[in-house]
Amino acid sequence: MVWKKSDDPPTQHPEPTPAPRPMTASAPTPSPAPMSAANEPPRRSSTNATIGPSIFIKGDLSGEEDLVIEGRVEGKVDLKQNNVTIGKNGRVRADVFGKVVIIEGEVDGNVFAREQAILRQAGAIRGNITAPRVMLEDGSRFKGSIDMEAPKETGGNASRHSDREANRPEATGVKATA
Amino acid sequence: MSWFSSRGSGPRKEQGRVQTEVVEPDVHRSLALAALCEEIRRRKLQVLDLGSAVGSNVEFLSQYGCKLFIEDLYAALSSRAPGEGELAGPNFFAEFLSLPEDTRFDVVLAWDLFDYLQRKELAAFSEQLRNLTNRGALIFALVSYHKTIPAQPYRFRIKDEQHLIYERRTGADRPSPRLAPAEVTGLLKGFRVDRSFLLKHGIQEYLLVRE
Repeated sequence: MVWKKSDDPPTQHPEPTPAPRPMTASAPTPSPAPMSAANEPPRRSSTNATIGPSIFIKGDLSGEEDLVIEGRVEGKVDLKQNNVTIGKNGRVRADVFGKVVIIEGEVDGNVFAREQAILRQAGAIRGNITAPRVMLEDGSRFKGSIDMEAPKETGGNASRHSDREANRPEATGVKATA
Repeated sequence: MSWFSSRGSGPRKEQGRVQTEVVEPDVHRSLALAALCEEIRRRKLQVLDLGSAVGSNVEFLSQYGCKLFIEDLYAALSSRAPGEGELAGPNFFAEFLSLPEDTRFDVVLAWDLFDYLQRKELAAFSEQLRNLTNRGALIFALVSYHKTIPAQPYRFRIKDEQHLIYERRTGADRPSPRLAPAEVTGLLKGFRVDRSFLLKHGIQEYLLVRE
């Protein structure tokens, strides 16, 4: 009998783990279809640090764990490596830095998200959002600008007008020019 | 913090009776949108969206990596105080678009808002737009040739590069100004029609270019 060393890993039956929900920073599809549960970022985790509704913090916040803000914060929220959630009761007058930033309350300031910024239906932002992916739910209130980094290089800076003339699409409808 | 007006989505005074009935949205082909997307994909542009914030539009535009400014013109017009007069003048528009001095847009999404401005308002607004746009900047606008238009502007959702979803926000109607092409260019001084498409459903799409 020849003993053959198996290349297979030892047979184990680990506990099945749920597939991680990706927080992708890839370019979104142009489809307006709502995000499915599979690619929706996590809303909350039980391990989040929480600033409760009765707490008011004036100053800068930084750390290395996910944070939920349900109270008031004035200053700066700097958690670039972690997720930041401004809860429904949260009122933030500050610039917010995070990996995924979710806003369900109100933010008066700029939002910088390394992966994604999400403005939920009840949320409001007056300020600018900088993130590769931005999701605004219908009914949310937003006043400001959204700076979305280009997912890939998109050509040079050739004369736009001459390109426009060269690439003018064929119109199948009636064309009228003043 | 109460910097968002609760009156923002309401109708302007002159629109008359407003019903709560909301009609199912229509999907229409958009030739001007397809042409506009060709422009946007070339380089990182600054885009001014004068409509309300629509999540799917933001998601659509995010694929082009542009910088998007959202300034809801109709909401701002609707929330004007009663004492501010019937017509919005240059001061209103200057305050409405009070952006950093070096802000210049390459694309303005005006949607159907020209139909909701009085002619004098449109002329005043175009002056402000001229100050905030680069030479060659494009305005995307839709003008109705119907006798009536919805009492409030449509909410437009970009379905894809060639289709727009028109969502009515009210069942009530108001008279349409029926702006003719010559009127549009006459009122929007400093802009000329780059491309224009008359669509089957009575909407004229414009791409106006800043001279």
